[in-house]
Amino acid sequence: MSSKAKGASPGGGDRINSELFTLTYGALVRHLLLDLESPEEVNKQLDKMGQNIGIRLVDDFLAKTNTGRCRNFREAAKTIAETGFRMFLGCSAKVTQIDDKECKMVLSENPLTDFVELPEKLQPLSYCSLLCGVIRGALEQISMKVECEISKDPLKGDERFELHMRLVEYVNEEYPFKDD
Amino acid sequence: MVCFNMYIFNRNGVCLHYSEWSRPKNVKDGAGTLVDDAKMMFGLLFSLKNVCTAIDPTREVKRPLGAPTPHGEGCSFRSFTTDCYKLHYLDSPSGIKIVLNTSKDVGSLEKQMWVIYSSLYCEYIVKNPLYTVGEPFECEQFVQKLNKFVATLG
Amino acid sequence: MSQRGSVLPPLVDRHILTSKTRNDVGVGAFAFLFSEIVQYSQTRVSNVSELERKLADVGFDVGVRMLELLVHREKAGKRENRILGILSFLHTNVWKNLFGKTADSLERGTSADDEYMISDHDLLVNRFISVPRDMGHLNCGAFAAGIVEGVLKSSGFPARVTAHSVTSEGLSRPKTTILIKFSPEVIERDERLGS
Repeated sequence: MSSKAKGASPGGGDRINSELFTLTYGALVRHLLLDLESPEEVNKQLDKMGQNIGIRLVDDFLAKTNTGRCRNFREAAKTIAETGFRMFLGCSAKVTQIDDKECKMVLSENPLTDFVELPEKLQPLSYCSLLCGVIRGALEQISMKVECEISKDPLKGDERFELHMRLVEYVNEEYPFKDD
Repeated sequence: MVCFNMYIFNRNGVCLHYSEWSRPKNVKDGAGTLVDDAKMMFGLLFSLKNVCTAIDPTREVKRPLGAPTPHGEGCSFRSFTTDCYKLHYLDSPSGIKIVLNTSKDVGSLEKQMWVIYSSLYCEYIVKNPLYTVGEPFECEQFVQKLNKFVATLG
Repeated sequence: MSQRGSVLPPLVDRHILTSKTRNDVGVGAFAFLFSEIVQYSQTRVSNVSELERKLADVGFDVGVRMLELLVHREKAGKRENRILGILSFLHTNVWKNLFGKTADSLERGTSADDEYMISDHDLLVNRFISVPRDMGHLNCGAFAAGIVEGVLKSSGFPARVTAHSVTSEGLSRPKTTILIKFSPEVIERDERLGS
């Protein structure tokens, strides 16, 4: 057995079959389409759900990787690309363009879209909106407000999957209670 | 070693969880109610962190006390010891603050605090679909595992 | 014949990844996704049974597709036509592919001839869950029950499948038991084939 064998330890361990994940996500999108009917509404809902996931996911990420504070947007983007995607989705991402306020990330493969093909009438559907929401939600928890969108999507005919992140502002930690 | 109590706060000051194992002095004699007690504790953590940042001798740019700390700067304390108890503090980058009060005769509990954060909070609260983010939680599994873990510390 | 000028080959021409080429996904990713599904479903239902039903529906979709994938990959298209065959397929192949290990037990129901039970001591979807008191008897294993129902229905064994928590000695947490109640025509057909 190669030492790089996927860490499938008995009892499930830390990694699970990506097909379960892919199929579950697909079932979710299907159900959202049934409930909400319009692809634009589904995009919004996926984004919102992604945000909720991101808010929780960031704690798990920080705990498992023992990452210290990311000092700025650049560090955060690099950490997401190099560690984050591998840890959660099992795929790696490469940062193609980065400066202090913007960055573009390319994913080598995307388990969310493994068996997926978008029919003509669902072209406006942004199938991976969830990922954008996750990144936004996660960075919000570490005091960075960012915008994230899918700039290239293989489901729509592009050759690779590319995310575009843009820093809006840093949010300072403020005392939440009124002084009384 | 005795563990007195533990608080978990989120970045907005909401006390997500409070556990008590031994609290000889009644809350009523201190802050008054548990809610006020939690608020006072959060205020202490927040102010102490700002003071630490302000008097940091290694920092080149001095910031006035009271000005909000820009992102990426600031330092956090890990524990303080008084005549009667020792307070251990973990501040995660996502704003989750874990406070554990123990008796004085204890060394550094940094690693253990991290275990509480990663193996207990992250596993049983964060991953629990029935938990609403940002609100106080009641989770049997978490409490059981926490009690077991704290018993091993002593 | 791709209409949109896509660089990728059409879907049906692409490789089905085997376990060696496929990357595994972090369990955290699934836990969070499932958690969001539960939260979303909660906003659209008004009571616990409806929530379980909705989770089972999502699981059903997964089960139907999982069956196609597994039959093609592991059984070279051969179809099961006996009850014990499909149950053992579920207990071994399906469980192993979805959850990383075979189910812990497969038993015949004691109270009725048409009932069978598959148990798992530590079902993935229930691992991180602690049900708050006001949700009573909610069991998110309903998702797994939906998967089983999807697999069974698509294989031609319609059944009613539900998930239950059963406390068991020697286990710190209750195990999850998936109860399968086959439709009468399935039992009849199996008896005909058996004799």
